[in-house]
Amino acid sequence: MADWAELQEALADYTVSCNSNERLRKMQRDWTRLLHFVCSDNGIVFTMDVDHGEIVRTCEGHEGVPDIVVTTESETFCDMFWGDLNPVQKYLRGEIKVKGTQEDVMRLDAISYVIWPDA
Amino acid sequence: MEGSESPVAPMVHVLRRSVGTPTAVATSAGLAFAAIDFLGVVSVATYALGASAWIAILIGGLFVLLVSGIFSELNGLFPTAAGIRLYIGRAIGPRTSLAVGFTYMSTVVLVIAADAFLIGAAIGHVLHEPSWLSYVWIFVLLGVAAGANLRGIRLAGWLQSIVTYTVLASTSVLSVIAIFHVGGSFKKPFALFGHGGFSAVQAVAFSLFLYAAFEWVTTTAEEARQPRVITKALFIAPALIWGAATLFSLGLSHLVPIGQSHGSAYPQLLLGTATLGTVGELWMFAVTLLTALNTFNGGFLVASRFIYATARDGSLPRSFAKLNLQAVPWLAVVTLAGASALVAAVVFATHQWLLLVAVGATIEAAIYAVGSWCVLALRRKDLRERPFRLIAAKPLATFGLVLFAFLALASGFSDPKDAHKLSLLPVAVIAVIALLSTSYVMFVMPKLQAQAAARAAASRPKRRPTRPNTAAPEVLAPNDE
Repeated sequence: MADWAELQEALADYTVSCNSNERLRKMQRDWTRLLHFVCSDNGIVFTMDVDHGEIVRTCEGHEGVPDIVVTTESETFCDMFWGDLNPVQKYLRGEIKVKGTQEDVMRLDAISYVIWPDA
Repeated sequence: MEGSESPVAPMVHVLRRSVGTPTAVATSAGLAFAAIDFLGVVSVATYALGASAWIAILIGGLFVLLVSGIFSELNGLFPTAAGIRLYIGRAIGPRTSLAVGFTYMSTVVLVIAADAFLIGAAIGHVLHEPSWLSYVWIFVLLGVAAGANLRGIRLAGWLQSIVTYTVLASTSVLSVIAIFHVGGSFKKPFALFGHGGFSAVQAVAFSLFLYAAFEWVTTTAEEARQPRVITKALFIAPALIWGAATLFSLGLSHLVPIGQSHGSAYPQLLLGTATLGTVGELWMFAVTLLTALNTFNGGFLVASRFIYATARDGSLPRSFAKLNLQAVPWLAVVTLAGASALVAAVVFATHQWLLLVAVGATIEAAIYAVGSWCVLALRRKDLRERPFRLIAAKPLATFGLVLFAFLALASGFSDPKDAHKLSLLPVAVIAVIALLSTSYVMFVMPKLQAQAAARAAASRPKRRPTRPNTAAPEVLAPNDE
Protein backbone atom coordinates (compact mmCIF):
# COMPACT_ATOMS: atom_id res chain seq x y z
CA MET A 1 0.00 0.00 0.00
CA ALA A 2 1.51 3.31 -1.05
CA ASP A 3 1.16 6.43 1.04
CA TRP A 4 0.62 9.97 -0.22
CA ALA A 5 4.36 10.75 -0.18
CA GLU A 6 5.03 7.89 -2.61
CA LEU A 7 2.13 8.88 -4.78
CA GLN A 8 3.33 12.48 -4.77
CA GLU A 9 6.79 11.39 -5.89
CA ALA A 10 5.31 9.27 -8.67
CA LEU A 11 3.03 12.11 -9.74
CA ALA A 12 5.93 14.57 -9.83
CA ASP A 13 7.90 12.26 -12.11
CA TYR A 14 4.85 11.67 -14.26
CA THR A 15 4.20 15.40 -14.56
CA VAL A 16 7.77 16.05 -15.75
CA SER A 17 7.61 13.15 -18.22
CA CYS A 18 4.28 14.34 -19.64
CA ASN A 19 5.04 18.03 -19.84
CA SER A 20 8.45 17.53 -21.42
CA ASN A 21 7.20 15.19 -24.14
CA GLU A 22 6.61 17.31 -27.23
CA ARG A 23 4.74 14.63 -29.14
CA LEU A 24 2.38 14.11 -26.25
CA ARG A 25 1.80 17.85 -25.87
CA LYS A 26 0.90 18.06 -29.55
CA MET A 27 -1.35 15.06 -29.30
CA GLN A 28 -3.16 16.33 -26.23
CA ARG A 29 -3.24 20.02 -27.12
CA ASP A 30 -7.05 20.00 -27.28
CA TRP A 31 -7.44 17.99 -24.08
CA THR A 32 -8.43 19.98 -21.01
CA ARG A 33 -9.77 17.86 -18.19
CA LEU A 34 -10.07 17.68 -14.44
CA LEU A 35 -9.25 14.21 -13.16
CA HIS A 36 -10.08 12.71 -9.80
CA PHE A 37 -8.18 9.68 -8.53
CA VAL A 38 -9.37 7.35 -5.80
CA CYS A 39 -7.16 4.78 -4.05
CA SER A 40 -9.53 1.95 -3.28
CA ASP A 41 -7.26 0.35 -0.68
CA ASN A 42 -6.39 3.25 1.63
CA GLY A 43 -8.89 5.94 0.72
CA ILE A 44 -6.32 8.49 -0.50
CA VAL A 45 -7.81 10.77 -3.13
CA PHE A 46 -6.11 13.33 -5.32
CA THR A 47 -6.79 15.67 -8.20
CA MET A 48 -4.97 16.37 -11.45
CA ASP A 49 -5.67 19.41 -13.59
CA VAL A 50 -4.77 19.08 -17.26
CA ASP A 51 -4.89 22.22 -19.39
CA HIS A 52 -4.42 21.76 -23.14
CA GLY A 53 -2.35 18.65 -22.56
CA GLU A 54 -0.20 20.18 -19.83
CA ILE A 55 -0.46 18.95 -16.26
CA VAL A 56 -0.75 22.25 -14.44
CA ARG A 57 -1.49 20.99 -10.94
CA THR A 58 -1.78 17.92 -8.79
CA CYS A 59 -2.97 18.00 -5.21
CA GLU A 60 -4.24 15.78 -2.46
CA GLY A 61 -8.00 15.70 -2.05
CA HIS A 62 -10.72 16.27 -4.58
CA GLU A 63 -11.31 19.69 -6.05
CA GLY A 64 -13.96 20.79 -8.51
CA VAL A 65 -16.27 18.69 -10.62
CA PRO A 66 -14.28 15.99 -12.42
CA ASP A 67 -14.45 14.98 -16.05
CA ILE A 68 -12.85 11.64 -15.30
CA VAL A 69 -12.65 9.51 -12.17
CA VAL A 70 -10.01 6.78 -11.95
CA THR A 71 -10.19 4.20 -9.17
CA THR A 72 -7.65 1.53 -8.33
CA GLU A 73 -5.20 0.50 -5.62
CA SER A 74 -2.50 2.92 -4.52
CA GLU A 75 0.31 0.56 -5.59
CA THR A 76 -1.17 0.36 -9.07
CA PHE A 77 -1.27 4.15 -9.29
CA CYS A 78 2.38 4.37 -8.27
CA ASP A 79 3.52 1.77 -10.80
CA MET A 80 1.39 3.40 -13.47
CA PHE A 81 2.75 6.89 -12.89
CA TRP A 82 6.32 5.59 -12.82
CA GLY A 83 5.65 3.87 -16.15
CA ASP A 84 6.27 0.40 -14.81
CA LEU A 85 2.77 -0.81 -15.52
CA ASN A 86 0.68 -1.06 -18.64
CA PRO A 87 -2.70 0.16 -17.38
CA VAL A 88 -4.59 -1.61 -20.17
CA GLN A 89 -4.01 -5.02 -18.62
CA LYS A 90 -5.38 -3.88 -15.28
CA TYR A 91 -8.24 -2.06 -16.99
CA LEU A 92 -9.23 -5.13 -18.99
CA ARG A 93 -9.19 -7.19 -15.80
CA GLY A 94 -11.47 -4.63 -14.17
CA GLU A 95 -8.81 -3.69 -11.61
CA ILE A 96 -8.66 -0.11 -12.82
CA LYS A 97 -12.04 1.53 -13.13
CA VAL A 98 -12.52 4.69 -15.13
CA LYS A 99 -15.58 6.87 -15.23
CA GLY A 100 -15.49 9.20 -18.17
CA THR A 101 -16.13 9.19 -21.87
CA GLN A 102 -14.71 6.47 -24.08
CA GLU A 103 -12.45 9.04 -25.72
CA ASP A 104 -11.07 10.13 -22.36
CA VAL A 105 -10.33 6.56 -21.34
CA MET A 106 -8.44 6.15 -24.58
CA ARG A 107 -6.53 9.40 -24.05
CA LEU A 108 -5.47 8.34 -20.57
CA ASP A 109 -3.94 5.17 -21.89
CA ALA A 110 -2.45 6.98 -24.87
CA ILE A 111 -0.48 9.19 -22.48
CA SER A 112 1.30 6.26 -20.87
CA TYR A 113 1.85 4.61 -24.24
CA VAL A 114 3.47 7.70 -25.72
CA ILE A 115 5.67 8.39 -22.72
CA TRP A 116 6.67 4.78 -22.16
CA PRO A 117 6.14 2.93 -25.45
CA ASP A 118 7.68 -0.23 -24.07
CA ALA A 119 5.39 -0.39 -21.05
CA MET B 1 -11.49 -6.11 -9.49
CA GLU B 2 -14.78 -4.99 -8.19
CA GLY B 3 -15.07 -7.97 -5.97
CA SER B 4 -11.63 -7.44 -4.46
CA GLU B 5 -12.16 -3.80 -3.60
CA SER B 6 -11.50 -2.76 -0.07
CA PRO B 7 -14.32 -1.65 2.14
CA VAL B 8 -13.35 2.03 1.77
CA ALA B 9 -16.58 3.98 1.50
CA PRO B 10 -17.42 4.68 -2.13
CA MET B 11 -17.41 8.34 -3.09
CA VAL B 12 -20.14 10.00 -5.04
CA HIS B 13 -18.92 11.66 -8.20
CA VAL B 14 -20.78 13.82 -10.63
CA LEU B 15 -19.22 13.99 -14.06
CA ARG B 16 -19.53 17.02 -16.26
CA ARG B 17 -19.98 14.98 -19.42
CA SER B 18 -22.03 11.87 -19.16
CA VAL B 19 -24.50 9.82 -21.10
CA GLY B 20 -28.13 10.24 -20.19
CA THR B 21 -31.01 7.99 -21.13
CA PRO B 22 -31.90 9.68 -24.47
CA THR B 23 -28.29 9.47 -25.69
CA ALA B 24 -27.85 5.90 -24.49
CA VAL B 25 -31.08 4.91 -26.22
CA ALA B 26 -29.93 6.68 -29.41
CA THR B 27 -26.56 4.95 -29.24
CA SER B 28 -28.17 1.55 -28.79
CA ALA B 29 -30.86 2.01 -31.44
CA GLY B 30 -28.48 3.84 -33.78
CA LEU B 31 -25.93 1.04 -33.82
CA ALA B 32 -28.64 -1.51 -34.49
CA PHE B 33 -30.78 0.31 -37.02
CA ALA B 34 -28.52 0.36 -40.08
CA ALA B 35 -29.40 0.28 -43.77
CA ILE B 36 -29.06 -3.49 -43.65
CA ASP B 37 -32.07 -3.60 -41.34
CA PHE B 38 -34.31 -2.82 -44.31
CA LEU B 39 -32.94 -5.96 -45.94
CA GLY B 40 -33.39 -7.77 -42.65
CA VAL B 41 -37.11 -6.98 -42.76
CA VAL B 42 -37.26 -8.38 -46.31
CA SER B 43 -35.47 -11.54 -45.12
CA VAL B 44 -38.07 -11.99 -42.38
CA ALA B 45 -40.84 -11.39 -44.90
CA THR B 46 -39.36 -14.05 -47.16
CA TYR B 47 -39.82 -16.73 -44.51
CA ALA B 48 -43.13 -15.42 -43.18
CA LEU B 49 -46.04 -15.84 -45.57
CA GLY B 50 -47.91 -12.78 -46.82
CA ALA B 51 -47.90 -9.79 -44.50
CA SER B 52 -47.19 -11.84 -41.36
CA ALA B 53 -43.59 -10.66 -40.89
CA TRP B 54 -44.78 -8.32 -38.15
CA ILE B 55 -45.57 -11.34 -35.96
CA ALA B 56 -42.03 -12.68 -36.33
CA ILE B 57 -40.66 -9.19 -35.54
CA LEU B 58 -42.89 -9.03 -32.46
CA ILE B 59 -41.80 -12.47 -31.23
CA GLY B 60 -38.18 -11.57 -31.94
CA GLY B 61 -38.70 -8.38 -29.94
CA LEU B 62 -40.06 -10.31 -26.97
CA PHE B 63 -37.05 -12.60 -27.07
CA VAL B 64 -34.81 -9.53 -27.25
CA LEU B 65 -36.37 -8.31 -24.00
CA LEU B 66 -34.91 -11.44 -22.42
CA VAL B 67 -31.56 -10.48 -23.98
CA SER B 68 -31.98 -7.00 -22.45
CA GLY B 69 -32.39 -8.60 -19.03
CA ILE B 70 -29.39 -10.87 -19.52
CA PHE B 71 -27.06 -8.07 -20.65
CA SER B 72 -28.39 -5.73 -17.95
CA GLU B 73 -27.32 -8.22 -15.31
CA LEU B 74 -23.92 -8.85 -16.93
CA ASN B 75 -23.30 -5.15 -17.53
CA GLY B 76 -24.20 -4.40 -13.93
CA LEU B 77 -21.53 -6.86 -12.79
CA PHE B 78 -18.87 -5.56 -15.20
CA PRO B 79 -19.73 -1.99 -16.15
CA THR B 80 -16.69 -1.38 -18.37
CA ALA B 81 -15.99 -1.18 -22.09
CA ALA B 82 -14.17 -4.48 -21.72
CA GLY B 83 -17.22 -6.08 -20.13
CA ILE B 84 -17.65 -8.83 -22.71
CA ARG B 85 -14.10 -10.04 -22.16
CA LEU B 86 -14.55 -9.90 -18.42
CA TYR B 87 -17.77 -11.81 -18.03
CA ILE B 88 -17.01 -14.44 -20.65
CA GLY B 89 -13.51 -14.73 -19.20
CA ARG B 90 -14.88 -15.22 -15.69
CA ALA B 91 -17.65 -17.58 -16.75
CA ILE B 92 -15.88 -19.70 -19.35
CA GLY B 93 -12.20 -18.79 -19.60
CA PRO B 94 -9.91 -15.95 -20.69
CA ARG B 95 -8.75 -17.52 -23.94
CA THR B 96 -12.30 -18.36 -24.93
CA SER B 97 -13.35 -14.81 -24.16
CA LEU B 98 -10.75 -13.47 -26.57
CA ALA B 99 -11.66 -15.94 -29.35
CA VAL B 100 -15.35 -15.12 -28.89
CA GLY B 101 -14.49 -11.41 -28.74
CA PHE B 102 -12.66 -11.54 -32.08
CA THR B 103 -15.51 -13.45 -33.72
CA TYR B 104 -18.05 -11.07 -32.25
CA MET B 105 -16.14 -8.01 -33.44
CA SER B 106 -15.95 -9.44 -36.95
CA THR B 107 -19.66 -8.67 -37.20
CA VAL B 108 -18.68 -4.99 -37.14
CA VAL B 109 -16.69 -5.45 -40.34
CA LEU B 110 -19.46 -7.52 -41.90
CA VAL B 111 -22.13 -4.96 -41.06
CA ILE B 112 -19.99 -2.03 -42.23
CA ALA B 113 -19.16 -3.87 -45.47
CA ALA B 114 -22.76 -4.80 -46.12
CA ASP B 115 -23.95 -1.29 -45.33
CA ALA B 116 -21.26 0.24 -47.52
CA PHE B 117 -22.40 -1.92 -50.39
CA LEU B 118 -26.07 -1.22 -49.82
CA ILE B 119 -25.62 2.55 -49.54
CA GLY B 120 -23.41 2.53 -52.62
CA ALA B 121 -26.06 0.58 -54.48
CA ALA B 122 -28.77 2.99 -53.32
CA ILE B 123 -26.72 5.95 -54.52
CA GLY B 124 -26.16 4.24 -57.87
CA HIS B 125 -29.88 3.56 -58.18
CA VAL B 126 -31.05 7.07 -57.32
CA LEU B 127 -28.38 8.91 -59.30
CA HIS B 128 -28.67 6.44 -62.20
CA GLU B 129 -24.99 5.71 -62.25
CA PRO B 130 -23.32 2.61 -63.67
CA SER B 131 -22.56 -0.16 -61.22
CA TRP B 132 -18.82 0.44 -61.20
CA LEU B 133 -19.46 3.94 -59.89
CA SER B 134 -21.38 2.44 -56.99
CA TYR B 135 -18.26 0.48 -56.25
CA VAL B 136 -16.29 3.74 -56.18
CA TRP B 137 -18.88 5.20 -53.81
CA ILE B 138 -18.18 2.38 -51.40
CA PHE B 139 -14.54 3.41 -51.15
CA VAL B 140 -15.42 7.08 -50.97
CA LEU B 141 -17.85 6.56 -48.10
CA LEU B 142 -15.51 4.29 -46.22
CA GLY B 143 -12.68 6.73 -46.84
CA VAL B 144 -14.73 9.64 -45.50
CA ALA B 145 -15.63 7.70 -42.36
CA ALA B 146 -12.06 6.50 -41.86
CA GLY B 147 -10.72 10.01 -42.49
CA ALA B 148 -13.14 11.49 -39.95
CA ASN B 149 -12.05 8.88 -37.42
CA LEU B 150 -8.37 9.49 -38.09
CA ARG B 151 -8.81 13.19 -37.44
CA GLY B 152 -10.30 12.41 -34.09
CA ILE B 153 -13.65 13.73 -35.22
CA ARG B 154 -16.56 11.76 -33.94
CA LEU B 155 -20.21 12.35 -33.70
CA ALA B 156 -21.12 14.00 -30.47
CA GLY B 157 -23.92 12.55 -28.41
CA TRP B 158 -26.46 15.10 -29.54
CA LEU B 159 -25.69 14.51 -33.22
CA GLN B 160 -25.95 10.77 -32.67
CA SER B 161 -29.31 11.36 -31.05
CA ILE B 162 -30.55 13.64 -33.83
CA VAL B 163 -29.48 11.25 -36.58
CA THR B 164 -30.88 8.15 -34.91
CA TYR B 165 -34.22 9.65 -33.95
CA THR B 166 -34.53 11.23 -37.42
CA VAL B 167 -33.91 7.87 -39.10
CA LEU B 168 -36.38 6.03 -36.87
CA ALA B 169 -39.05 8.75 -37.10
CA SER B 170 -38.69 9.23 -40.88
CA THR B 171 -38.89 5.50 -41.53
CA SER B 172 -41.95 5.20 -39.31
CA VAL B 173 -43.77 8.18 -40.83
CA LEU B 174 -43.22 7.06 -44.41
CA SER B 175 -44.25 3.53 -43.47
CA VAL B 176 -47.49 4.79 -41.92
CA ILE B 177 -48.22 6.72 -45.12
CA ALA B 178 -47.54 3.52 -47.06
CA ILE B 179 -49.90 1.53 -44.82
CA PHE B 180 -52.74 3.96 -45.54
CA HIS B 181 -51.86 4.32 -49.22
CA VAL B 182 -54.69 3.50 -51.59
CA GLY B 183 -54.14 0.56 -53.90
CA GLY B 184 -52.18 -1.79 -51.68
CA SER B 185 -53.34 -4.90 -49.92
CA PHE B 186 -52.49 -6.95 -46.86
CA LYS B 187 -52.41 -10.60 -47.79
CA LYS B 188 -52.53 -13.19 -45.01
CA PRO B 189 -51.33 -10.93 -42.18
CA PHE B 190 -51.54 -13.78 -39.62
CA ALA B 191 -50.08 -16.64 -41.68
CA LEU B 192 -46.68 -16.84 -39.98
CA PHE B 193 -46.68 -20.61 -40.38
CA GLY B 194 -47.82 -20.43 -44.00
CA HIS B 195 -44.48 -21.66 -45.30
CA GLY B 196 -44.24 -24.33 -42.60
CA GLY B 197 -43.04 -24.45 -39.01
CA PHE B 198 -39.33 -24.31 -39.74
CA SER B 199 -39.78 -21.26 -41.98
CA ALA B 200 -41.56 -19.53 -39.10
CA VAL B 201 -38.63 -20.33 -36.84
CA GLN B 202 -36.25 -18.97 -39.47
CA ALA B 203 -38.36 -15.79 -39.74
CA VAL B 204 -38.05 -15.27 -35.98
CA ALA B 205 -34.31 -16.00 -36.13
CA PHE B 206 -33.83 -13.38 -38.83
CA SER B 207 -35.96 -10.89 -36.94
CA LEU B 208 -33.31 -10.99 -34.22
CA PHE B 209 -30.91 -9.48 -36.72
CA LEU B 210 -33.06 -6.33 -36.79
CA TYR B 211 -32.09 -5.73 -33.18
CA ALA B 212 -28.51 -6.93 -33.62
CA ALA B 213 -25.83 -4.81 -31.95
CA PHE B 214 -28.27 -2.96 -29.68
CA GLU B 215 -26.41 -4.50 -26.75
CA TRP B 216 -23.15 -2.79 -27.78
CA VAL B 217 -24.35 0.20 -25.79
CA THR B 218 -22.99 -1.65 -22.75
CA THR B 219 -19.50 -0.54 -23.82
CA THR B 220 -20.48 3.01 -22.85
CA ALA B 221 -21.27 1.92 -19.30
CA GLU B 222 -18.47 4.08 -17.89
CA GLU B 223 -19.91 7.15 -19.54
CA ALA B 224 -23.37 6.68 -18.16
CA ARG B 225 -24.66 9.12 -15.61
CA GLN B 226 -26.01 6.23 -13.58
CA PRO B 227 -25.84 2.45 -14.08
CA ARG B 228 -29.56 2.25 -14.70
CA VAL B 229 -29.19 4.46 -17.79
CA ILE B 230 -27.72 1.51 -19.69
CA THR B 231 -30.42 -0.81 -18.38
CA LYS B 232 -33.10 1.63 -19.53
CA ALA B 233 -31.46 1.90 -22.96
CA LEU B 234 -31.33 -1.88 -23.25
CA PHE B 235 -35.10 -2.02 -22.82
CA ILE B 236 -36.21 1.16 -24.63
CA ALA B 237 -34.05 0.88 -27.78
CA PRO B 238 -35.45 -2.53 -28.85
CA ALA B 239 -38.95 -1.10 -28.44
CA LEU B 240 -38.11 1.78 -30.80
CA ILE B 241 -36.51 -0.59 -33.31
CA TRP B 242 -39.50 -2.89 -33.03
CA GLY B 243 -41.86 0.00 -33.81
CA ALA B 244 -39.94 1.24 -36.85
CA ALA B 245 -39.27 -2.27 -38.22
CA THR B 246 -42.89 -3.36 -37.73
CA LEU B 247 -44.26 -0.29 -39.50
CA PHE B 248 -41.73 -0.72 -42.30
CA SER B 249 -42.63 -4.40 -42.75
CA LEU B 250 -46.35 -3.57 -42.85
CA GLY B 251 -45.83 -0.72 -45.30
CA LEU B 252 -43.61 -2.89 -47.47
CA SER B 253 -46.00 -5.84 -47.53
CA HIS B 254 -48.86 -3.45 -48.30
CA LEU B 255 -47.36 -1.80 -51.35
CA VAL B 256 -44.34 -3.78 -52.59
CA PRO B 257 -44.69 -7.43 -53.66
CA ILE B 258 -42.20 -9.70 -51.91
CA GLY B 259 -40.96 -10.89 -55.29
CA GLN B 260 -39.89 -7.33 -56.03
CA SER B 261 -38.29 -6.50 -52.69
CA HIS B 262 -36.55 -9.84 -52.16
CA GLY B 263 -33.16 -9.71 -53.79
CA SER B 264 -33.20 -5.92 -54.00
CA ALA B 265 -30.37 -4.03 -52.31
CA TYR B 266 -32.64 -1.06 -51.57
CA PRO B 267 -36.16 -2.16 -50.53
CA GLN B 268 -36.54 1.10 -48.61
CA LEU B 269 -36.23 3.03 -51.89
CA LEU B 270 -38.84 0.77 -53.47
CA LEU B 271 -41.22 1.51 -50.61
CA GLY B 272 -40.47 5.23 -50.87
CA THR B 273 -41.22 5.20 -54.60
CA ALA B 274 -44.37 3.13 -54.20
CA THR B 275 -45.62 5.49 -51.49
CA LEU B 276 -44.77 8.99 -52.66
CA GLY B 277 -43.05 8.56 -56.01
CA THR B 278 -39.80 10.48 -56.48
CA VAL B 279 -40.31 12.41 -53.24
CA GLY B 280 -40.62 9.17 -51.31
CA GLU B 281 -37.58 7.73 -53.03
CA LEU B 282 -35.49 10.79 -52.13
CA TRP B 283 -36.91 10.68 -48.61
CA MET B 284 -35.72 7.13 -48.04
CA PHE B 285 -32.49 7.87 -49.88
CA ALA B 286 -31.74 10.59 -47.33
CA VAL B 287 -32.59 8.16 -44.52
CA THR B 288 -30.23 5.60 -46.04
CA LEU B 289 -27.40 8.14 -46.15
CA LEU B 290 -28.03 9.09 -42.52
CA THR B 291 -27.69 5.48 -41.41
CA ALA B 292 -24.12 5.57 -42.72
CA LEU B 293 -23.26 8.20 -40.11
CA ASN B 294 -24.11 5.81 -37.31
CA THR B 295 -22.79 2.64 -38.81
CA PHE B 296 -19.43 3.61 -40.31
CA ASN B 297 -18.32 6.18 -37.80
CA GLY B 298 -19.59 4.28 -34.80
CA GLY B 299 -18.32 0.95 -36.10
CA PHE B 300 -14.78 2.18 -36.76
CA LEU B 301 -14.72 3.98 -33.42
CA VAL B 302 -15.82 1.02 -31.32
CA ALA B 303 -13.88 -1.67 -33.16
CA SER B 304 -10.63 0.31 -33.47
CA ARG B 305 -10.58 0.92 -29.71
CA PHE B 306 -11.11 -2.78 -29.08
CA ILE B 307 -8.20 -3.55 -31.40
CA TYR B 308 -6.06 -0.88 -29.74
CA ALA B 309 -6.76 -2.19 -26.25
CA THR B 310 -6.08 -5.78 -27.36
CA ALA B 311 -2.79 -4.72 -28.94
CA ARG B 312 -1.79 -2.78 -25.82
CA ASP B 313 -2.63 -5.88 -23.85
CA GLY B 314 -0.06 -7.79 -25.93
CA SER B 315 -2.69 -9.95 -27.63
CA LEU B 316 -2.36 -8.36 -31.08
CA PRO B 317 0.74 -7.00 -32.85
CA ARG B 318 1.86 -3.79 -31.15
CA SER B 319 1.69 -1.82 -34.38
CA PHE B 320 -2.09 -1.79 -33.97
CA ALA B 321 -1.57 0.36 -30.87
CA LYS B 322 0.26 3.08 -32.81
CA LEU B 323 -1.32 6.47 -32.35
CA ASN B 324 -1.39 9.51 -34.54
CA LEU B 325 -1.25 13.06 -33.22
CA GLN B 326 -5.00 13.02 -32.65
CA ALA B 327 -4.51 10.05 -30.30
CA VAL B 328 -6.28 7.77 -32.75
CA PRO B 329 -5.03 4.20 -33.36
CA TRP B 330 -4.57 4.92 -37.03
CA LEU B 331 -3.45 1.47 -38.12
CA ALA B 332 -6.49 -0.11 -36.49
CA VAL B 333 -8.81 2.35 -38.25
CA VAL B 334 -7.09 1.93 -41.61
CA THR B 335 -7.13 -1.87 -41.27
CA LEU B 336 -10.81 -1.85 -40.42
CA ALA B 337 -11.57 0.40 -43.38
CA GLY B 338 -9.47 -1.81 -45.66
CA ALA B 339 -11.08 -5.01 -44.39
CA SER B 340 -14.54 -3.47 -44.76
CA ALA B 341 -13.74 -2.31 -48.30
CA LEU B 342 -12.41 -5.76 -49.17
CA VAL B 343 -15.45 -7.57 -47.82
CA ALA B 344 -17.69 -4.99 -49.50
CA ALA B 345 -15.88 -5.65 -52.78
CA VAL B 346 -16.47 -9.37 -52.37
CA VAL B 347 -20.13 -8.67 -51.65
CA PHE B 348 -20.29 -6.36 -54.65
CA ALA B 349 -18.80 -9.03 -56.89
CA THR B 350 -20.92 -11.88 -55.59
CA HIS B 351 -24.10 -10.01 -54.57
CA GLN B 352 -24.17 -12.18 -51.45
CA TRP B 353 -25.39 -9.50 -49.06
CA LEU B 354 -28.18 -11.76 -47.86
CA LEU B 355 -25.46 -14.13 -46.69
CA LEU B 356 -24.16 -11.39 -44.40
CA VAL B 357 -27.63 -11.04 -42.91
CA ALA B 358 -27.62 -14.77 -42.16
CA VAL B 359 -24.09 -14.64 -40.72
CA GLY B 360 -24.89 -11.59 -38.59
CA ALA B 361 -28.12 -13.12 -37.26
CA THR B 362 -26.33 -16.35 -36.40
CA ILE B 363 -23.46 -14.66 -34.55
CA GLU B 364 -25.84 -12.42 -32.64
CA ALA B 365 -28.05 -15.35 -31.60
CA ALA B 366 -24.93 -17.27 -30.57
CA ILE B 367 -23.70 -14.34 -28.47
CA TYR B 368 -27.10 -14.16 -26.79
CA ALA B 369 -26.77 -17.88 -25.98
CA VAL B 370 -23.28 -17.26 -24.58
CA GLY B 371 -24.67 -14.37 -22.51
CA SER B 372 -27.36 -16.68 -21.11
CA TRP B 373 -24.69 -19.20 -20.17
CA CYS B 374 -22.64 -16.47 -18.50
CA VAL B 375 -25.61 -15.43 -16.34
CA LEU B 376 -26.06 -19.03 -15.20
CA ALA B 377 -22.35 -19.60 -14.57
CA LEU B 378 -21.78 -16.30 -12.78
CA ARG B 379 -24.76 -16.83 -10.49
CA ARG B 380 -22.71 -19.76 -9.15
CA LYS B 381 -19.20 -18.28 -9.37
CA ASP B 382 -19.74 -14.62 -8.57
CA LEU B 383 -21.96 -13.95 -5.59
CA ARG B 384 -21.63 -10.17 -5.60
CA GLU B 385 -24.71 -8.01 -5.35
CA ARG B 386 -26.03 -7.10 -8.78
CA PRO B 387 -27.46 -3.66 -9.64
CA PHE B 388 -29.88 -5.49 -11.94
CA ARG B 389 -31.01 -9.04 -11.35
CA LEU B 390 -32.79 -11.03 -14.03
CA ILE B 391 -36.04 -12.29 -12.58
CA ALA B 392 -36.22 -16.09 -12.42
CA ALA B 393 -32.71 -16.20 -13.77
CA LYS B 394 -32.25 -19.95 -13.74
CA PRO B 395 -35.29 -20.90 -15.84
CA LEU B 396 -35.17 -17.79 -18.03
CA ALA B 397 -31.42 -17.96 -18.75
CA THR B 398 -31.71 -21.70 -19.41
CA PHE B 399 -34.59 -20.97 -21.75
CA GLY B 400 -32.48 -18.24 -23.41
CA LEU B 401 -29.54 -20.58 -23.79
CA VAL B 402 -31.62 -23.25 -25.51
CA LEU B 403 -33.68 -20.79 -27.53
CA PHE B 404 -30.82 -18.68 -28.87
CA ALA B 405 -28.65 -21.71 -29.56
CA PHE B 406 -31.54 -23.16 -31.56
CA LEU B 407 -32.14 -19.85 -33.39
CA ALA B 408 -28.42 -19.60 -34.13
CA LEU B 409 -28.57 -23.04 -35.71
CA ALA B 410 -31.76 -22.16 -37.59
CA SER B 411 -30.29 -19.03 -39.16
CA GLY B 412 -26.87 -20.62 -39.54
CA PHE B 413 -28.24 -23.39 -41.73
CA SER B 414 -30.68 -21.24 -43.70
CA ASP B 415 -30.25 -20.63 -47.38
CA PRO B 416 -30.25 -16.83 -47.62
CA LYS B 417 -31.65 -16.94 -51.14
CA ASP B 418 -34.27 -19.63 -50.87
CA ALA B 419 -36.57 -19.91 -47.88
CA HIS B 420 -37.33 -23.54 -48.62
CA LYS B 421 -33.76 -24.79 -48.72
CA LEU B 422 -31.05 -25.39 -46.19
CA SER B 423 -27.52 -24.21 -46.68
CA LEU B 424 -24.22 -24.71 -44.93
CA LEU B 425 -22.85 -21.42 -46.20
CA PRO B 426 -23.67 -19.10 -43.23
CA VAL B 427 -22.40 -21.54 -40.63
CA ALA B 428 -19.36 -22.28 -42.79
CA VAL B 429 -18.45 -18.59 -42.92
CA ILE B 430 -18.80 -18.33 -39.14
CA ALA B 431 -16.79 -21.52 -38.64
CA VAL B 432 -13.95 -20.06 -40.70
CA ILE B 433 -14.02 -16.80 -38.66
CA ALA B 434 -14.16 -18.72 -35.37
CA LEU B 435 -11.42 -21.10 -36.46
CA LEU B 436 -9.14 -18.22 -37.44
CA SER B 437 -9.86 -16.44 -34.15
CA THR B 438 -9.26 -19.57 -32.08
CA SER B 439 -6.09 -20.50 -33.99
CA TYR B 440 -4.79 -17.02 -33.46
CA VAL B 441 -5.50 -17.13 -29.73
CA MET B 442 -4.03 -20.62 -29.37
CA PHE B 443 -0.91 -20.38 -31.51
CA VAL B 444 0.01 -16.80 -32.44
CA MET B 445 -0.95 -14.84 -29.33
CA PRO B 446 1.31 -16.75 -26.90
CA LYS B 447 4.30 -15.97 -29.11
CA LEU B 448 3.39 -12.29 -29.27
CA GLN B 449 3.00 -12.18 -25.51
CA ALA B 450 6.35 -13.88 -24.98
CA GLN B 451 7.98 -11.36 -27.33
CA ALA B 452 6.30 -8.48 -25.52
CA ALA B 453 7.46 -9.78 -22.15
CA ALA B 454 11.02 -10.22 -23.41
CA ARG B 455 11.01 -6.76 -24.94
CA ALA B 456 9.64 -5.18 -21.79
CA ALA B 457 12.16 -6.97 -19.61
CA ALA B 458 15.10 -6.06 -21.84
CA SER B 459 14.19 -2.52 -22.77
CA ARG B 460 14.48 -0.73 -19.46
CA PRO B 461 14.64 -1.39 -15.77
CA LYS B 462 11.85 -0.46 -13.43
CA ARG B 463 11.77 3.26 -12.75
CA ARG B 464 9.97 3.25 -9.45
CA PRO B 465 12.42 3.48 -6.55
CA THR B 466 12.37 0.51 -4.23
CA ARG B 467 11.37 1.38 -0.70
CA PRO B 468 11.75 -0.65 2.42
CA ASN B 469 8.58 -2.44 3.48
CA THR B 470 7.04 -1.80 0.11
CA ALA B 471 5.92 -4.55 -2.16
CA ALA B 472 7.91 -4.78 -5.36
CA PRO B 473 6.16 -3.22 -8.35
CA GLU B 474 4.29 -5.61 -10.51
CA VAL B 475 6.33 -7.16 -13.27
CA LEU B 476 5.14 -6.38 -16.76
CA ALA B 477 3.24 -9.55 -17.37
CA PRO B 478 2.28 -10.10 -20.97
CA ASN B 479 -1.10 -11.40 -20.01
CA ASP B 480 -2.89 -12.98 -17.18
CA GLU B 481 -3.99 -15.92 -19.21
